[in-house]
Amino acid sequence: MKVTLAMKPAAKSFISIEAESIVPKNFLDGTDLSVWRGNRELRLDEVFSVLVEGDADRSEDVEVVLSGETFRLKRVGEYMDGGRITILGNIGMHCGNFMSGGIIEVRGNADGWLGREMAGGAIVCRGDAADYCAAGYRGGRKGMTGGTVEVFGSTGDFLAESIAGGTVTVHGNSGDMAGAEMRGGTLVVHGDCRRPGANMKEGSCYVYGTVQGMLPTFRKIGTVQHGGRTLIRFAGDLANRGKGNLFVKDYEYLD
Amino acid sequence: MTELLVKNACVIDPLRGINAETMDIAILDGKIVEEVSDAAEVIDARGMLTLPGGVDSHTHICGTKVNFGRYMSPEDMRAGRTPRRGPLHATSGYSVPTTYGNSYRYSVMGYTTLLEGAMAPLEARHTHEEFIYTPLQDTMANVLFDGNWGIMEAIRDGDTKRVAAIIAWTLRAVKGFAIKLTNPGGTEAWQWGKNVSCIRDPVPYFEVTPAEIIRSIVEANELLGLPHSVHLHCNNLGTPGNYSCTLGSLGLIPDLNEKRQTLYAAHVQFHAYGGSDWKDFCSKSEPIARFVDMRPQIVMDMGQVMFGRTTTMTADGPMEFNLYRLHHEKWSNHDVELETGSGIIPVIYRRKNLVNSIMWAIGLELALLTKSPWQCLLTTDNPNGAPFVKYPEIIGLLMSKKYRDAEFATIHPDTEARVPLPAIERELDWYEIAVMTRAGQAKALGIQDLGKGHLGPDADADVAIYPLRMDEVDPSVDYQKVIDAFSRTEYTIKRGRVVARRGECLVDGSNATFWVRPKVSENYDMGKDPDFIEKFDRYYTVRMRNYPVQEEYLNRNRCIETEARI
Repeated sequence: MKVTLAMKPAAKSFISIEAESIVPKNFLDGTDLSVWRGNRELRLDEVFSVLVEGDADRSEDVEVVLSGETFRLKRVGEYMDGGRITILGNIGMHCGNFMSGGIIEVRGNADGWLGREMAGGAIVCRGDAADYCAAGYRGGRKGMTGGTVEVFGSTGDFLAESIAGGTVTVHGNSGDMAGAEMRGGTLVVHGDCRRPGANMKEGSCYVYGTVQGMLPTFRKIGTVQHGGRTLIRFAGDLANRGKGNLFVKDYEYLD
Repeated sequence: MTELLVKNACVIDPLRGINAETMDIAILDGKIVEEVSDAAEVIDARGMLTLPGGVDSHTHICGTKVNFGRYMSPEDMRAGRTPRRGPLHATSGYSVPTTYGNSYRYSVMGYTTLLEGAMAPLEARHTHEEFIYTPLQDTMANVLFDGNWGIMEAIRDGDTKRVAAIIAWTLRAVKGFAIKLTNPGGTEAWQWGKNVSCIRDPVPYFEVTPAEIIRSIVEANELLGLPHSVHLHCNNLGTPGNYSCTLGSLGLIPDLNEKRQTLYAAHVQFHAYGGSDWKDFCSKSEPIARFVDMRPQIVMDMGQVMFGRTTTMTADGPMEFNLYRLHHEKWSNHDVELETGSGIIPVIYRRKNLVNSIMWAIGLELALLTKSPWQCLLTTDNPNGAPFVKYPEIIGLLMSKKYRDAEFATIHPDTEARVPLPAIERELDWYEIAVMTRAGQAKALGIQDLGKGHLGPDADADVAIYPLRMDEVDPSVDYQKVIDAFSRTEYTIKRGRVVARRGECLVDGSNATFWVRPKVSENYDMGKDPDFIEKFDRYYTVRMRNYPVQEEYLNRNRCIETEARI
């Protein structure tokens, strides 16, 4: 089943839309869903031109395609457990929260909190992702626990904060505090980033570019070969009695 | 004039010696009366268990410390969310909920009076402001005097009357209800980066010992004729082998008051540990319970630990630092100038953890081994041992050996060798539970004469009617029914008004705050004492005239005047 949701142009396009109902599973029972714009509940067809082709018995066979001013949509794919969501443009905050299965593809950029606390499945972002990509939530002990997030552009700060499982790969650069409070899982940044792995307990963090502001609480172990690259291995974060591994191509401490 | 008649109520009212008598309760303008006119609104209780409104004599629900628990645990606010509805405000949070969350949840469980266990005098305004937004319970606050510089100097000089005078001035200024000592001396030592190991260790600079602080303040408490006794959180909380220190502290206390205890020992579960380190950690509830059995001058509360997530918060700063070193999670530490300090740490008590399992057992043992329920009150030191919403489960555990055994089978297997709990057959009855949750608490707080904790004529019309008939439920078998009933009243009546019905709060309410104003002679008025004023102006960051909490901060103001003997 393919569900195509094209956003209708809106007069007040600055108000975001809470669209946690846009999950493949929900379309098995038709398109009688609602979303919230501010304090107003709207039917799905008030916001989107809805087109359904074919039918399906299980969420794995459902594909949802979103187009239009999709950067206004928040919480798309929250608690998604299977199927596929393709977003042709940019997507708003909290896309793929808590997802446990299926695939979300964002052709454009993603706003903050992409794949927050996800437990499984895969998110692919062709553009950039903003802050707190694949992170935990405020104050929480564990962030992402499984699945994969791949970002082909760059990401903002606090990438994969509190990650406890799963894999996050960023092909561009990342901002400050990547992998902060990491306690498991794998984080790979192909470009540069700042202060990775702060307070990490476990897990592995790879930076194929240059680390700026390298934290002094990591102990240098030596060099390792990894996928054809020579990386410098650190253990830490010693400030947190951490047993994490940080591998970097190059690094510079703060002056 | 509003009249209400509760018919066919099966009443347990321990302060009046009433045990399961079916009777009518007449209410006129928020007070219990002998009879009302035929025009009164009638509630038919249909023989359901009816108790005086619940009293919690030790809980942390309002104030800077609680609020900082909220700040530092935004994840806690993801639980317990309820939307705004009718007169009710939105709530959120589990172990440190919003004030409305606390108030509604307590009300649904039938609680109508709460005592905030620790209010730093300097930050009293915050507590009183939050009291206003705890609308469905009457409130009062213990004031922290554990590291007060003026008091420690007076103790060093051996001047108990001056100790009493400073307490009188402060209670009046901050609109406090009673004296709280949290790790006496230890929190002041913490300001020097130290702690006291037990009651004979001197506090740095002041050179007084916790034993001197406790004894002197207990005497001062009686000089002032305060309704409540000193409320003590002993030194050395949470360390293996601390029970001997607890016994030493309790042994300091003479019997000075005929009407009530002379010392309220708070959350004794945390102070009843044997062993020399975490490896041979074990329960010492038996010696403590036996010691308390022999001393009517002491009342304690359980401080029961229940498994799950919660937040620990106390004025015992050094103890929280030790906890931080164990858990390595987030930690907050706070210093309150010349008075006290505090620390906060979120924790998870786990069944799989041997130490946590033993702690769980110790609280229950204290309640079951102490002969008189008037001497061991039911609390969790909310939220330190568990959030107060766990009270019904604790009642279930105390009333049912079967439930205890079923729970015991799920905890760490080595617990059995470290605790006496499996051998205890005692099951508490309804009357004892009523004592431990209201009558005993009101008596310990000294508020029964103010119309709390009983249903006698002229008492405040605070009534909890639970959806349960005692003749139909055998608590030792049907413990789940007991838990369900105590979780959700059929009616909670506060000041003569139905405030909660079947788990739903109905009104916005308006709380009253009790506070104490001891009348002292001119010579002992610290507001005119040059030395006190000079020290105040030199060391505090606030001016003395800005320090007292104005009465505008109190919603309904119930001032208790006492005749001090100084």
